[in-house]
Amino acid sequence: MKKLLAILLCAAMLLGMVSLASAEGYSGDLKIWVAEAVVDFTKEQVEAFKTAHPEYAGMNVTVEAVGEGDAASKVITDVTAAADLFGFAQDQLARLVTAGALEEVEPGNAEIVKAENDAGAVGAVTLGEKMYAYPLTSDNGYFLYYDKSVVSDPSDLDAILADCEKAGKSFYFEINSGWYQTAFFFGAGCQLTFDTDNDGNLVKMNSTYASEEGVKALKAMIKLSKSPAFMNGSSFSTATNPGAIVDGTWDSTAAKDAFGDNYAAAKLPTVDGWQLGGFGGFKMLGVKPQEDEAKLGACDALAAYLSSEEVQMARYNAVGWGPSNMKVQKSDAVQADVALAALAEQLQYTIPQGQYPGEYWSLATGLGDDIIAKKYDDLDDAGLMDVLKTFEATCEGYLTK
Amino acid sequence: MTDLEYFKLSKPEKMLRSVGGFFARLPKGIWNGIKKLGLFIAAIVKGIGTNLADLVTTFKNGDWKTRLSYLIMGFGSCARGQWGRGILFFLFQTVFNMYMFFPNAQFSGCYYLGKLSTLGTIETYKEGRRTVYGDNSFFILLYGVLTLFFIAAFIYTWRMNIKQNRISEQLLKNGHKLKTTKDDVASLMDEQFHKTMLALPTLGVTIFTILPILFMILVAFTNFDATHQPPSKLFTWVGWDNFNQLLSTDTASYGDTFRHVLLWTLIWAFFATFLNYFLGMLVAIMINKKGIKLKKMWRTILVMTIAIPQFVSLLYVSKMFAADGLINTYLMKWGWISSPLPFWTDPTWARVTIIVINVWIGIPYLMLIATGILMNIPADLYESARIDGANAFQMYKKITLPYMLFVTGPYLLTSFTGNINNFNVIFLLSQGKPLSLQLSGNAGHTDLLITWLYKMTVNDTNYKLAAVMGILVFVVTAVINLIVYNMIPSVKNEEDFQ
Repeated sequence: MKKLLAILLCAAMLLGMVSLASAEGYSGDLKIWVAEAVVDFTKEQVEAFKTAHPEYAGMNVTVEAVGEGDAASKVITDVTAAADLFGFAQDQLARLVTAGALEEVEPGNAEIVKAENDAGAVGAVTLGEKMYAYPLTSDNGYFLYYDKSVVSDPSDLDAILADCEKAGKSFYFEINSGWYQTAFFFGAGCQLTFDTDNDGNLVKMNSTYASEEGVKALKAMIKLSKSPAFMNGSSFSTATNPGAIVDGTWDSTAAKDAFGDNYAAAKLPTVDGWQLGGFGGFKMLGVKPQEDEAKLGACDALAAYLSSEEVQMARYNAVGWGPSNMKVQKSDAVQADVALAALAEQLQYTIPQGQYPGEYWSLATGLGDDIIAKKYDDLDDAGLMDVLKTFEATCEGYLTK
Repeated sequence: MTDLEYFKLSKPEKMLRSVGGFFARLPKGIWNGIKKLGLFIAAIVKGIGTNLADLVTTFKNGDWKTRLSYLIMGFGSCARGQWGRGILFFLFQTVFNMYMFFPNAQFSGCYYLGKLSTLGTIETYKEGRRTVYGDNSFFILLYGVLTLFFIAAFIYTWRMNIKQNRISEQLLKNGHKLKTTKDDVASLMDEQFHKTMLALPTLGVTIFTILPILFMILVAFTNFDATHQPPSKLFTWVGWDNFNQLLSTDTASYGDTFRHVLLWTLIWAFFATFLNYFLGMLVAIMINKKGIKLKKMWRTILVMTIAIPQFVSLLYVSKMFAADGLINTYLMKWGWISSPLPFWTDPTWARVTIIVINVWIGIPYLMLIATGILMNIPADLYESARIDGANAFQMYKKITLPYMLFVTGPYLLTSFTGNINNFNVIFLLSQGKPLSLQLSGNAGHTDLLITWLYKMTVNDTNYKLAAVMGILVFVVTAVINLIVYNMIPSVKNEEDFQ
């Protein structure tokens, strides 16, 4: 009888400890995947987080470098082995949610995220009515870097091309990418968005690509592809002899190195009077679904911390990532940044990048490759319209049935 | 037709006859195949029948030790003093039972076997904000298949256990002595040494090769893709749907793209194999020729391409041919062209460029192989040919080429198969680009089946179609191999160069 009592008492104590643990924090392992550039920064911030939240001080956090482009694929391939927190770009959101690899943002945190970040970023982390990730940056957009000594008027595409041709330099624009391509389509006034339900399934397509505006955009791309100065590309690391390049903030250091004193940045140019548009993009931090409630609490708290105002400010200072937090955006340091200023100017002509089916990106590459391969050079307006109709119909075929 | 008549025919007529003969033999061949299959099935059925009959008679005529062995494996062996065998049998049975009826249902063979027909039914759900994972279709399929293997192994061992009882009984009845455990061990080191040696490799091949292949084949019949991703989502059996999607020509299917990619794969394999082969041989002959100076230097220069890893050289070359790469930049600088040549952007240009670059990296290998073989051709053959007044081309056609083909026939075949699956060259040079609106599923104009398969698994997590593609790649290579294998001279005229 005594024995039984002892066992019962032990069990009660254990139970008590377990319930205590869930209320009092978490001290197990936790893994984070972030881009190479911010691994050290994230490590520092995790330490700061532990100091600020003693209940999580015993936590064993490992930070590993996994690029934002690969994270989603790696998480989906093996959810069990994936990191508990991982950074990714918003085009991967729907894919992650449909694969069941993202936990919803804790309701309390969701309110804060909504209040503190810009509308585009909030829209990008939301599917249907549910918020699935914490926005980190609002700098995943593209604009024009140019060489002041080559390009005299960065506001008009034809002028840029003429300047580059004259100087024997190249103008880089990655028109075979579904991401950069939208600069033309959206700028010309077309629309291509997908509606998702709460589970990340794409249920409806809103497209006006097969229209006069679409043909206008396609013609502008064909015209661009014919210029001898045109090069398909968007990265300083592979560009040879660039005069101007359409690229993002992640390449600002490379741009400064390449152009030296002639380094300049501006919004995208106009084409025949209309302004090029495109996507505004965001980086975000996701939490993996957890089987342990205490660990989930730790993940929520850490993710909220890493996306908070102070950390976004610190992140900008450390690695130059453009913040999504509105207060940080208004700070003097961010306001004075040439690349971020150009991006900010461009962002007013863009739409926040929503969710697109994975197949869209390769389809858009197909369209761009066909343009570069000169398949459409001889087509009249009706022929181009047929191309866009095929494009649209194929896109619609990607909807979740 | 007699032999004499056959030899009178002209070359094209002979060829026509042999091709015609192939098709004339085809129906008979198919009929023979069906007959063989029928006989095979009949043999299996008969085998099962005799085994069952044997089980019954053994039970009827056996003593109590034998009969108890039907329930407890190895009992008979132990009772007759063959402890080693008996304990092994019993151990196997214990392990099997523990696996099948493991107390924690999630890890038992029965659990996986029971779910194999549905691949899981319990969905993942939320308990508050906590996630509770349901069935994991992936593990159910994997361990389900493993369990089937295990059951087959168990049935085989059980049968063996009973057979041993019967034989032992017989031996004892006839006054022989049974082998002791010591004898058994000694025999494994002596006349049964092959079993000792092959046990580990066989086990390894089963677990690491056969099981994954079977698993992959089964995945082709499920809907395992991006939207059915364990552990959060279930996947299930869908029959032949995936084959349909890959092969049929509906708008939403990949049929047209598949044919396009398959055709290019075959064209590529043909050129990559034979162009390299003949050019490599040519280079070897040229370097081998009397009077050529600095032979070693020429060979060294060519072999340098092998010394540099393809990862480095191919990526570099790919960049060299880009629109803003070295070649285009210089051609434009010199004023030879006004706009960049579309090496990678135009489908036809890209294909030709790839084949030509592959010649550059392929020739050295062939040159090395050919050099060795060419030196082996008896010089007196050439001498007598020269006396008969044959020119260089005639000598090549009548002496060098037949000899080369005879020796390198199997090599040609394997290199053709290898080129069908030549992932490196394509992926490092073009990644399958350019893409096109006419092609679906992320496939490009220079994609081989194997690189397309890679994109499907890695970029699109479309495992179901990738599995189907894997099966089709196997079918394509198997068919080509079987046909060509029977045609190469090394198999057909085995005695020619003995």
